[in-house]
Amino acid sequence: MLTTKTFLKKTKRGNILKIVREHYLRDDIWCGSVLCKTCSMKEREKTLEKDLDHSSSLFSFPHYLVLDTNIVLDQIDVLEENSFENVIILQTVLEEVKHRSSPVYRRLKDIISNPDRKFYVFVNEHHKDTYVERKAGESVNDRNDRAIRVATAWYASHLAPSQPKGKNKHVSIVLLTDDAANRQKAKDEGLISCSVHDYVSSLENAPALLDKLSKRNFVLEGNSKEPLFPLHLSPKEIQDGIKAGKLLQGTFLASRENFLEGSVNVEGYEKFILVQGHAGLNRAVDGDTVALELLPESEWVAPSDIVLEDAEEDPGDILDDEAKMEKEKQKAKKVEREPTGKVVGIIRRKWRQYCGILQPSQDKNSIRHLFMPAERKISKIRIETRQAETLKSQRIIVAIDSWPRTSRYPLGHFVRALGNIGDKNTENEVLLLEHDVPHSKFSEQVLSFLPKLPWVITDADLERRVDLRNITICSVDPPGCTDIDDALHCRELENGNYEVGVHIADVSHFIRPGNALDKEAALRATTVYLVDKRIDMVPELLSSNLCSLRGNEERFAFSCIWELTKDATIVNTKFHKSVICSKAALTYGEAQARIDDKTLNDDVVKSLRGLNSLAKILKKRRIENGALVLASPEIRFQVDSETHDPIEVVAKKMLETNSMVEEFMLLANISVAQKIVEEFPECAMLRRHPQPPPTNFEPLVKAGHLQGFEINVESGKDLAESLDKAVKSDNPYFNTMLRIMATRCMMQAVYFASGMLQKDEFFHYGLACPIYTHFTSPIRRYADIIVHRLLAACIGADSTYPELLDKRKSHSLCHNLNYRNRMAQYAGRASVNLHTHLFFRNRVQDEQGYVLYVRKNALQILIPKYGLEGTLYLAPPKGQIAKVNFTYNEEEQSQSHGSIKFRVFDPVTVQLSLDRRNVQHEKLMLLLVKPEIPEFSVPSQAGSQQVEAMDVDEVKDVAPPPKRQKKSK
Amino acid sequence: MVKSTSYLFFFISFGNFLSVYFIFQNDLRNDGRSKQDYRPIELELDIVTHANGSARVRLANTDILVGVKTEIDVPTSNRPEEGKIEFFVDCSANATPEFEGKGGQDLATEIGNYLGSSFASPLSFDLKPLCILKGVQCWKLYVDILILECGGNLFDAVSLAVKAALYNTMVPRVETVAMDGGNVDLQLSGDPFDCWRLDITNIPCLVTLTKIGEHLIVDPTAEEEECSMASLVVAVTESGRINSLCKTSVGSLHPQTLTDALKVGVEVGVGLNKALNEALGREEKRLQSNKPERFGFLK
Amino acid sequence: MDLLSDQGLRLDGRRPDELRNIRCKMGVFNQADGSAYLEQGNTKVLATVYGPHQPRGQARNRAPHDEAFVNCQYSMAVFSTGERKNRPRGDRKSQEMSIHLRQALVSAIRTELYPRSQLDIFVEVLQADGGNYCACVNAATLALVDAGVGMREYAVACSASLANGEIPLVDISHLEESTGGPNLTVASLPISGQVALMEMSQRFHSDHLPKVLERALEGCKDIHRILDDTVRKHVEETGRASGWGQVDRAGIVL
Repeated sequence: MLTTKTFLKKTKRGNILKIVREHYLRDDIWCGSVLCKTCSMKEREKTLEKDLDHSSSLFSFPHYLVLDTNIVLDQIDVLEENSFENVIILQTVLEEVKHRSSPVYRRLKDIISNPDRKFYVFVNEHHKDTYVERKAGESVNDRNDRAIRVATAWYASHLAPSQPKGKNKHVSIVLLTDDAANRQKAKDEGLISCSVHDYVSSLENAPALLDKLSKRNFVLEGNSKEPLFPLHLSPKEIQDGIKAGKLLQGTFLASRENFLEGSVNVEGYEKFILVQGHAGLNRAVDGDTVALELLPESEWVAPSDIVLEDAEEDPGDILDDEAKMEKEKQKAKKVEREPTGKVVGIIRRKWRQYCGILQPSQDKNSIRHLFMPAERKISKIRIETRQAETLKSQRIIVAIDSWPRTSRYPLGHFVRALGNIGDKNTENEVLLLEHDVPHSKFSEQVLSFLPKLPWVITDADLERRVDLRNITICSVDPPGCTDIDDALHCRELENGNYEVGVHIADVSHFIRPGNALDKEAALRATTVYLVDKRIDMVPELLSSNLCSLRGNEERFAFSCIWELTKDATIVNTKFHKSVICSKAALTYGEAQARIDDKTLNDDVVKSLRGLNSLAKILKKRRIENGALVLASPEIRFQVDSETHDPIEVVAKKMLETNSMVEEFMLLANISVAQKIVEEFPECAMLRRHPQPPPTNFEPLVKAGHLQGFEINVESGKDLAESLDKAVKSDNPYFNTMLRIMATRCMMQAVYFASGMLQKDEFFHYGLACPIYTHFTSPIRRYADIIVHRLLAACIGADSTYPELLDKRKSHSLCHNLNYRNRMAQYAGRASVNLHTHLFFRNRVQDEQGYVLYVRKNALQILIPKYGLEGTLYLAPPKGQIAKVNFTYNEEEQSQSHGSIKFRVFDPVTVQLSLDRRNVQHEKLMLLLVKPEIPEFSVPSQAGSQQVEAMDVDEVKDVAPPPKRQKKSK
Repeated sequence: MVKSTSYLFFFISFGNFLSVYFIFQNDLRNDGRSKQDYRPIELELDIVTHANGSARVRLANTDILVGVKTEIDVPTSNRPEEGKIEFFVDCSANATPEFEGKGGQDLATEIGNYLGSSFASPLSFDLKPLCILKGVQCWKLYVDILILECGGNLFDAVSLAVKAALYNTMVPRVETVAMDGGNVDLQLSGDPFDCWRLDITNIPCLVTLTKIGEHLIVDPTAEEEECSMASLVVAVTESGRINSLCKTSVGSLHPQTLTDALKVGVEVGVGLNKALNEALGREEKRLQSNKPERFGFLK
Repeated sequence: MDLLSDQGLRLDGRRPDELRNIRCKMGVFNQADGSAYLEQGNTKVLATVYGPHQPRGQARNRAPHDEAFVNCQYSMAVFSTGERKNRPRGDRKSQEMSIHLRQALVSAIRTELYPRSQLDIFVEVLQADGGNYCACVNAATLALVDAGVGMREYAVACSASLANGEIPLVDISHLEESTGGPNLTVASLPISGQVALMEMSQRFHSDHLPKVLERALEGCKDIHRILDDTVRKHVEETGRASGWGQVDRAGIVL
């Protein structure tokens, strides 16, 4: 059967088109129930069960559930619970969810793909009996509601003939909807229908589920109360207002210090626009896209510099704390006033799930509680829970459902508990969540795309690959590395040149474009390394086994083979897929030992020596070209293997072999970048590192200048040279600190699609090379997988697919990769911080440090031993009177008290301890020990030497070891 | 089958001339019609779903397909309060191989121009409702006429199809939102049924009056056209008003014949309009019924 | 937008191996020697055949002495597309289509039967919703049969695409064409299994070619069946006066 769908569409050029599409209605769409005797579906398509024991007290008979769209959108947290089984998801609902919220859609699809959950998708839109045509004057929503009711009715009548009579055996269909009008219509049409709240309350394990229920549609007691907030404008009013220029659109950023203040970042405005007060903020939550009305200039105010925390106790739904700010406002001088506006509507909420704790409540029996998010920018959230007693000592996750005008706080619901506060696993979980690192277990659907074990290499595989199994290939990695994604070889050719090969795990062979595994990897974008944990981008079977180029095992690789002359000039480059068998998986140390051991002379060692000598030439040439070395002998900037993205400062010993591997990885990446951009000038995925603007270097130049060194930042090469020259004999740490500062001046290196930028913008500043990409770590970076696919397409080893060649798709993919990389970095740092805190939890310790920056009221101290940085406050907390006053000299960048003067790079001794006053936000506290300042410094920690000696073992255990356990080539 | 074209031509003209001459003696034409009879007309609306309005008219062997598309445009500066209408005629090679490439262009231009002039007055078709925002935006109607088969009397058939297609045309309802700098943005309501229809009351039908010998006939067949002396095309509205007038083809007319012709034209035109309106009503009713069948060329 | 849903249905509700609804009719016009109308989903085309006749105009000099000169013209009604076209023919795309059309049809027509003559094939796209070329070839075939032109076998065209990088789709609609993905158009002589014309758009890896091509050829065979049915029914109806339809139906072999 056939029908057509007609709709009108506006084109980009402003024209209005009539679009007509065919819509086929079928008679071969089955109901998916085991009960059914009329549908001729296959066994595996029968999802819905026969014997049901629904524990609902509301419906004492067996039943299947049909969900309305609003249930899926609002109550996905509850749906993820196992209590819901034998559910029919209509295509109408699926499409609407997809259209409205992609995260919810993804979660729903995960549920559907889990066979245990018995969720069946019924394609009602293409079924001849359940398709409904839109009537004239009917809104899309009404039509969809009608479609849902028609499908529900169809199921009921379809299943009736297949089952015995009698209500207790008879499987009925229950429509769950929170739309009262829809419910009424359903009742009128003789369908069984109820609200999700009624249904969930009737289930056996209701209390736990009820907590998770979204409160969006709840009518709070006392709804008749006076509204506290001004009304939000309707979407249409907002749209019209923005078009007419009366309103502005921007992203709302809440202030960390003052919960009644925030700013809105409006495109086209140089400065952020200030918003203040309950009415001004008007229920905007950090990250929301809001509509803003700019106030007349006479009403502009200055940002308040007071710290205002929300009241500890739940004051109920009243707003009275504005008075505190009022006073402040009066004082502001005209000059300090900033453009001020007020939020008049929300265009798009950016609510996510928040980590935090329950605020202790006076009333033990109350089910209404306040939730304090860990992120200070987020308002407290009111939730209802019956498990407050157990939850009060735990970190929990809460989702916001709504923020009605009558409520002081947004309303939300409890999602799940993470674990006890302070527990390491719980805290890890928190930091992963707060950094938006996807870390759930890989879903069944994702795992279904893994190769089946035992995995064997077939003849067909061998036919398409170059067989390199007889070549002496080895890998060099940090100790304990299980995801080995590169291996090398080097041999002398008859003509005296060297053949050097870099073999990279062929991950793209296992991860095919577009499947669930690929989508998951693309979402995760990178493996995240925490101090004590690794969150894999791809399932372990791949990352630590099939893709890992382990010693003496046959593996698939993507090889890049050069012919190099003795002075490391490339004669030619080849790329091909291959089968390799690594002869040895070495650590850096082992490899170094073998090279140095003159008695050894086997193939592996010869290969290593050849590589090593070539690497030295390559490195020298690179540095001559102006590549930055942001490392020093004892402390080095931990630099990402290929990018030289400065990440972190860690004490680390560098061996020749580290740089040997690094050089060849760089060479491979550059060669691949040239190749793919040549073949795909529009859509090659590359990595660039922009040159920082000169203003970025100001603090570095100033600091150098004060110490009598001229830092030339004209080019990368100049900078490298002037950093090399800036050495002070009396302060060996000086040069390192300069390099630390230089690192902070750098820009982020980013992925991009070649078609989006001009060729001269491809430049990689840190590496001083015109073009660069990531090819060598496909196990732990998604960008490399894309590059592998591009390269495979170049050499005809694999096929392309539309998304790969679409520069806009690549562009948005890059966007995600860059975001995830940044978040992974932050999460890594947060993990180090967490462990530092754990380490200092029960101790107070004196440490040698250096002044890194001088601030108006504090010194920024770097403690080399832990590679950490802390703030030494010179001014007391607000409200206390300073006993010792410091004089700040901005010109000289110094703080002085009497004869004692702190300047940048000066050594100090500080006492480290953990400030645990705030349960949510523990922080490291620094107190001055040396130089001594009476009434300010604290006495040296007695016996600290002993403590330190004793600590050594423990440090291994909990203190921050190098951030990434993975190699740092 | 393989004959010299010119010879064939002559043969037809000669034969027809004779038969016409003889049969007119009894006031009947060689296909049995009287002088003011039309051949059977078939009409179907809404057969091009992509277009905003469409109609197909088949007048014996003359087959015309008209599609109306609406587009957003800017009103001309001398008529800021009016929308636009444009006629485009395409003589498909399907009709005759002579139309291949640019072969049908002269005929197409002639028909297009004449249609344009018969619509030119606001008394026949008011363009004001097509204006969206004065001087800024308006609708432009593209009336595209496709001639698929020529069996004589193109003008009449085209005009019927055009009027029917305009009757069938649904113009989307839009709202304007003023933007900076006097620009406007158009907003569509999400409902595809939210459309309005054009007023076709005063749109004229064209009536071709052909003089063969001493006789004035309407709806000439291709053969009758071959042996006509001159033709007059009159645009007549429902109320019997003549909107425009044009003498086509070679040959000349006596002023008296002209006056007679106009009288006949008005009479026939009013009848034609009435018949069309009735047909449109029936067709509309059929389309609004549940699941109307679309015949198109499958009938 | 996914070309194929998890439930195995395409955007318009078809399964991967299903053609769109095809309806056709032969002999729609009286004046032409042969004509046909064909709908493939929302793609609707008219085809007419004039000839064989004496070569006209330029063809007089070009026409070969030992076979017929086949002249094709592809034209699109200006209202056939979503956005109005400016002219019905003469643009690059139409000219290319005319050439491709000729290529496919000449391989099926027994041109050697009509020396020193011309055959005109005109197709007019009334509504375009993807697979225009295919519909034109199929309609032209019917029109040629209607005109009684001698043919080796039917020339049939069909398109195919690839969803999710693995599942080939047959008979691509406009929506599927514009959503992206490769698009393969094949004109074939389905009985002998020969390929008369093949055209690809988008980058497309040779690995996928065999299965996509196979799907397209499969589609050609299905269409062939539909066209053949139409022809048989048409002949039965037009020839009913002499009663041969009944004889045939009764199973009597003459």
